[in-house]
Amino acid sequence: MTFIQVEDLSKIYNSGQADEVTALADISLSLERGEVAVLTGPSGSGKTSLLSLIGCMGRPTQGRVVIAGKDVVKLPERFLTEVRRKRFGFIFQQFNLIRELTVLDNILLPLYPLAIGMAEMKTKGLPILEKLKIIDKKNLKVKKLSGGEQQRVAIARALINEPDVIIADEPTAHLDRKLAQEFLDILTILRAEGKTVVIATHDPFISEHELVGKTVFMRDGHLERIEEQ
Amino acid sequence: MIKHLKIIEYALSSLLRRKSKIIAIVFAYSFTVATLASVLFLTHALKTEANFVLQGVPDLIVQKVMGGRHELIPLEYAQKIKAIHGVSEVKPRFWGYHFDALIEVNYTLMGAGGATKELRLLDGRLPENEFECAVGAGVAALRGSDYSGELILVNSRNTGQLFEVTGIFESDSNLLTNDLVVLTDKAVVDFFGFPEGKATDFAVTVRNSNEVQTVAVKIKKMFPDTRPITKSELTRTYDMVFNWRSGMMLTVFCAAIIALCIMAWDKATGISAEEKQEIGILKAIGWDTGDVLVLKFWEGVIVSLSSFMTGLVLSYIHVFYFDAFILSTILKGWSVLFPDFQLIPSVNVLHVLAMFFLTVVPYIASTVIPTWKTAVADPESVMRG
Repeated sequence: MTFIQVEDLSKIYNSGQADEVTALADISLSLERGEVAVLTGPSGSGKTSLLSLIGCMGRPTQGRVVIAGKDVVKLPERFLTEVRRKRFGFIFQQFNLIRELTVLDNILLPLYPLAIGMAEMKTKGLPILEKLKIIDKKNLKVKKLSGGEQQRVAIARALINEPDVIIADEPTAHLDRKLAQEFLDILTILRAEGKTVVIATHDPFISEHELVGKTVFMRDGHLERIEEQ
Repeated sequence: MIKHLKIIEYALSSLLRRKSKIIAIVFAYSFTVATLASVLFLTHALKTEANFVLQGVPDLIVQKVMGGRHELIPLEYAQKIKAIHGVSEVKPRFWGYHFDALIEVNYTLMGAGGATKELRLLDGRLPENEFECAVGAGVAALRGSDYSGELILVNSRNTGQLFEVTGIFESDSNLLTNDLVVLTDKAVVDFFGFPEGKATDFAVTVRNSNEVQTVAVKIKKMFPDTRPITKSELTRTYDMVFNWRSGMMLTVFCAAIIALCIMAWDKATGISAEEKQEIGILKAIGWDTGDVLVLKFWEGVIVSLSSFMTGLVLSYIHVFYFDAFILSTILKGWSVLFPDFQLIPSVNVLHVLAMFFLTVVPYIASTVIPTWKTAVADPESVMRG
């Protein structure tokens, strides 16, 4: 069953200006619920831009993004935020954690605008830290953690709102092979839980892994081909 | 409510992460508020004191002038003034200023007949003969008269005169009594060497307060060499003097206000890359534009309100506990307020509100507006910078 549908998607930055850049041109693809998909291609091919549009982090210049049957492109900002909050969990390349906050505070951050108390927030957060084996670091500031530990915190934060889709941008770019394997182990758990996972990467260790059900090859903002395993 | 509490909690932790910058802002902001508030508190306190003094002032004071200078007035003028329709009482007053070379302060020496009705004795009684006096608390403290029971002053013939202190004044207004030495009328005349048959001025009471101006005109017509001063003229003069002084001070402190404006403008025209990144992260993980604006609103409230309150408390302590030692020379005046006196705490709520709206509101606006410009953008474009 199609869960995410992308139709004729284009994204042009600085449209009409001298430095106009076409990041995406006429992309169409679909993703099933519970599928692990990889967007791959060289730097500048448009992977991150596509990931952002699928994750409702930006708006396309043209085309549609349909999530669970609903076109999200024309949604007002407030509803788009709600979709982002309820449907998506993001793992950024640079992790984008707040370095001065503790591990626990970082992963609870998405819950702050929700009208729930700290006790309930912790009830949601602590089991995730346990699952990702960083419960013993919960009171440490993020800046004191290793790269692998920071990535686990970023994953924990992505999971706190129990999203349907996990979006990861170059998740292993700063990790060694051992830590990349740990990421894949976590991915296995997420897939088993029925999460849809979309990863932008040019790391073959990820893109060629057996977990991956669909590989989308991109170049210069265009979709080259799609391979299904 | 819970949502706001959580966002306030995050706002506090966010501010703590930018400690040094926030401390610098709070310091500059508090200093500006403290200087502004000190000027306004001091001016208001002095005006309050002055108004208190003026309550006891007669409806009309008549002075004699010669060549534009205050002269002693002949007592025979009093009879003719009293005959003017509407005048109920004309009381000659004997007073003058005396410089005490021993401790280098000025006193006001006044005859007991001219003392205002607002004066109350804390202890003892008014002088009854030419060897007695009653003094203000400031004089008593400076000369130790409350312990010794004596006061020695050097008169116009350069002779020391010993007075027995029979009372020390109590007053709600220190301005009124602090530098005061009350003698009998006869003792004042003798002390200053006034010629017989002359007083310093007349205190004239008019039955109907609406007629004061008319009586003043009649006196001026009857005695062209006099200057009748009405109570309302005195009030206006005090107001003008303090307004002028506070205006001058406020002009000086405009520099401080401008500094605050520059700071606010700096904030308003842009937020740092780090702050932008944080806004992008918050939006990406599910905060909406409103949540981010609420966060920045509370950050602005916390910084500006704490700075405002700090500035206000500092200025209150400066003015009312330390007698505005930084501003007093400029604002109090030079001659009449020696020796030192303590200001009675009195704050004009409108002044506080005006300062609040001129400092807190612009700061909060300067925090929220640039955030709004950033927060309405897509998280992707914010994070891209």
